[in-house]
Amino acid sequence: MPKIPYSMKGIYDCELIEQSEVSEGVWLARLMGPQIARSVTAGQFVNVQVSKCTDPLLRRPFSVHAAYPDEGAFSLLYVVIGRGTRLFQRICAGEKISVVGPLGTGFDLGDQPHTEHIVVAGGCGAAPLHFLCDALCEKWGCEHITVLAGGRSKEAVLCEDEFRSHGVDIEVATDDASYGYGGFVTGLLSEVIGQRKGNESNIRIYSCGPHAMMREVARICHESKVANCQVSLENNMACGIGVCTGCVQKIKAPHTQQGWEYKRVCKDGPVFNAEDVIWE
Amino acid sequence: MGVDLSVEVGRIRMKNPVTVGSGTFGFGREMADFYDLSQLGAITVKGTSLEPWQGNDYPRTVETPSGMLNAIGLQNDGIDSLINEKMPFLRQYDVPVIVNVVGHSLEEYIEVASRLDKVEGIAGLEINVSCPNVKEGCMVFGTTPQGTAEVVRGVRAATGLTLITKLSPNVTDIVSIAQAAVDAGSDALSLINTLMGTAIDPWARKFRLANVTGGLSGPAVKPVALRMVYEVARSVDVPVIGMGGIMTAGDAIEFIVAGASAIAVGTANFVNPMAAVEIIDGIEEYLTKMGFASVDDIVGTVS
Ligand SMILES: Cc1cc2nc3c(=O)[nH]c(=O)nc-3n(C[C@H](O)[C@H](O)[C@H](O)COP(=O)(O)OP(=O)(O)OC[C@H]3O[C@@H](n4cnc5c(N)ncnc54)[C@H](O)[C@@H]3O)c2cc1C
Ligand SMILES: Cc1cc2nc3c(=O)[nH]c(=O)nc-3n(C[C@H](O)[C@H](O)[C@H](O)COP(=O)(O)O)c2cc1C
Ligand code: FES
Repeated sequence: MPKIPYSMKGIYDCELIEQSEVSEGVWLARLMGPQIARSVTAGQFVNVQVSKCTDPLLRRPFSVHAAYPDEGAFSLLYVVIGRGTRLFQRICAGEKISVVGPLGTGFDLGDQPHTEHIVVAGGCGAAPLHFLCDALCEKWGCEHITVLAGGRSKEAVLCEDEFRSHGVDIEVATDDASYGYGGFVTGLLSEVIGQRKGNESNIRIYSCGPHAMMREVARICHESKVANCQVSLENNMACGIGVCTGCVQKIKAPHTQQGWEYKRVCKDGPVFNAEDVIWE
Repeated sequence: MGVDLSVEVGRIRMKNPVTVGSGTFGFGREMADFYDLSQLGAITVKGTSLEPWQGNDYPRTVETPSGMLNAIGLQNDGIDSLINEKMPFLRQYDVPVIVNVVGHSLEEYIEVASRLDKVEGIAGLEINVSCPNVKEGCMVFGTTPQGTAEVVRGVRAATGLTLITKLSPNVTDIVSIAQAAVDAGSDALSLINTLMGTAIDPWARKFRLANVTGGLSGPAVKPVALRMVYEVARSVDVPVIGMGGIMTAGDAIEFIVAGASAIAVGTANFVNPMAAVEIIDGIEEYLTKMGFASVDDIVGTVS
């Protein structure tokens, strides 16, 4: 047999330990999956079979929200928005769900101590960023991390308590000014970076949320010349494992004639350097 | 005594009748995370062109009832990358490789075929004259017997490899095209490629694919594929590779008894990356249970 590089990536029948509605239409599911829990890194996702029937046919991708390697469990935080997520929400504790993962390329946590890490979350973009905070806290200490969490209203800001319980610094922005900073979380980001004038080259930014929000985060990062800015992107996925080239994003590629190429969000991403993304 | 799963498609000896649908398996690398690729009867890789193709704008895929539409537009890194990067990886495995060949013009098909002729590890070429998502070339050839024959004849002269012509279902009379391909020197046929369709978001009143149209695949197309495989297989005397919506060993058996000598697992790889190997096991189990000695014993035995 040829030498095949060892990988924990696989298809696993994961028992749903429990799931509950943590905010209106937002569910937190905890699944048993030791291989995934022990090998997944922040920003990676799993591809979940929400139905055993041929309709809906395809799996649904969800970022890992937390991993509990000791218990062999991991959690997903998802918004019920269509058929697939409605089916997911109806799965009962004790049932087994087929999960492919861990998939994709996650966040790069940096290699310089004394860096400030700013995490910018919009809506359910909080899911991978919650896991990221765990990883950043473990690697660099929670005192170096600031979370900026945004949502349309107070209810739409996800994971606030969980972020707080990490002991990271957190500021909230709501579009309707019902809570915290009034306005987009990107406005808050500009302020926060403004407060650190002269120190920008010491800041790393991580973001996940609506496309328009991440585009704005990328713009702010570019203008303020922070050290590094990473965004976690989405696209329609058919396979989730990198074989169909369906989920592509335009990524800068100076060696090509047109200066960019299509990269797969599921394999080369979902996390990309914001500077490399062609924003449309 | 175990059953004999091996089949022959042209001069390609497959240890079992299962290959994969081009474009649903990449170039094998990602799938090798899931199982030993040597288990497959053959690997059919993504459509490959002379120069790299960047493919279509996105969204490129959309789910439909029991199926999906794709308009990838044959994004691929071109033949140099296939020869220098992808083939060395695939040669690690004991499995014949079939390269799906695409081109904008007859000359491109011929040049790709002649350059792949002597590449170690490549067992056959699948001439894709049926891709619905590329403006020039490709399906333009595959929708008429003359166009198909022209490409097959050109490629035939350029290579000694086993030639498989991949047929489009988007035609009025698939049998006449199948016959034209065989007469022009095709050693085998594969079908079906995807069925042209579209999907619309009623609220936004917008097409769901950037390319507007795409190719339908998955369980939704199976009855159409099965009918076409049946009609083609009984009217030509070369082996047929059947595909279109195969999800289970039972589906695969249906294609085989309809006349396919081998089958390809396509969209099922997305749903269950282990689908192809599970189908191989299922075919073996079926033959054992039913008391057949080999796959050949059941090819085309439907009544
Ligand atoms: C890498 C990745 C990580 C993700 N992580 C999370 C997460 O942690 N939590 C969460 O709530 N959601 C996440 N999503 C989005 C989630 O996959 C979709 O919301 C889900 O697939 C919708 O399925 P549905 O059947 O309920 O909706 P559908 O009825 O299929 O569609 C409803 C809407 O969702 C969009 N959609 C459908 N499929 C996808 C898809 N594969 N990706 C993005 N949008 C899609 C459609 O365009 C449509 O507008 C992630 C997506 C990706 C690509
Ligand atoms: C995402 C995707 C990409 C495909 N790319 C190719 C291709 O490059 N060349 C080709 O001949 N067929 C291509 N096909 C067609 C498949 O090989 C197969 O003929 C078709 O999908 C029907 O089988 P299925 O229903 O099992 O998927 C593609 C199909 C899909 C879904
Ligand atoms: S979803 Fe298939 S390559 Fe990304």
